[in-house]
Amino acid sequence: MGLITEKTPLAKIQPVRFLLNWGRRYSLWVFNFGLACCSIEFIASSTSKNDFIRLGVIPFAHGPRQADLLVVAGTLTDKMAPVLKRLYDQIPDPKYVISFGSCSNCGGPYWDSYSVTKGVDQIVPVDVYVPGCPPRPEALLHGIVKLQEKIRDEDIQEKFRSGTSAVR
Amino acid sequence: MGRPLSADEVAERLRARFGEGVEVEDQHGHAVATVPVDRYREVVRFLRDDPAFACDFCDFTGGVDLGPERGFEVVSHFYSTEHVHNVRLKVRLPHEEPVIDSIADLFPTCNWHERETAEMFGIRFEGHPLPVKLLLPEPFEGFPLRKDFPLMSREAKPWPGAVEGEEEEEE
Ligand code: SF4
Repeated sequence: MGLITEKTPLAKIQPVRFLLNWGRRYSLWVFNFGLACCSIEFIASSTSKNDFIRLGVIPFAHGPRQADLLVVAGTLTDKMAPVLKRLYDQIPDPKYVISFGSCSNCGGPYWDSYSVTKGVDQIVPVDVYVPGCPPRPEALLHGIVKLQEKIRDEDIQEKFRSGTSAVR
Repeated sequence: MGRPLSADEVAERLRARFGEGVEVEDQHGHAVATVPVDRYREVVRFLRDDPAFACDFCDFTGGVDLGPERGFEVVSHFYSTEHVHNVRLKVRLPHEEPVIDSIADLFPTCNWHERETAEMFGIRFEGHPLPVKLLLPEPFEGFPLRKDFPLMSREAKPWPGAVEGEEEEEE
């Protein structure tokens, strides 16, 4: 994505934008931030039966610097929260976040706990929430399709301007 | 292979050594000894070094909050791989300023267990080599496993299900 910045006029042209977003949405390198039981379902989604590679989601980026998509799967605690923020900041723009499971959506069964962060959206901006405890792999596939619809309709320059970007 | 001690034998041996201050009961085949706080270290050392006990493994150290009147209990569980027997030690502490000796130098495994008990219950382990928090983030305030620790989410929205104990009354 290095060539596309908010200053690139090319990305405004409709066919270019279509092609660009088409390419981006089918090549999402995913970084798995697996924290608890939900990450097992996430791994199940990556294996042969459900296989999210057919949707263009590539498992697994070796580190956040190679990733486009962050999937937070599991229970985030207050002690872990700074680590999530740090890894999110290391992902190059444009980047997307799926919050997978009740725990990362809102605290889930640990809604009254003293140690659990009640929703990762307090720490990083979330694009798609997948509900369930744990959600089935099909639910993650649905979430990925929703995210791809979002990327399809996206204006890349808007995305850069929206302020989630670390590299400006 | 050694010989496991029964709860009665544990009581006999501990009383012979430490006097009448030691109470021993039999819980599910394990000897459970309640010892005064100032003799805790001594008893642990005795359990470890006495050939009849030879407790070479400390399973865990933990805490119990029994409320403001009865105070706290520190529970440590010892096991002997030689004699294949278990001895549990309990120490009662006051609710105000609970302090107990650390046994982390006698059983290094207790190092982390004591740090956890300290951060969860606010019990101070005198002589611990590294008295900092283990699991909680360092700025955390309060002691979450104390019964009087407020859960902020529950202050805002009470627990929606049945509370333990109340279910039985309804039946
Ligand atoms: S939402 Fe449920 S399955 Fe997922 S991490 Fe939380 S407790 Fe585990």
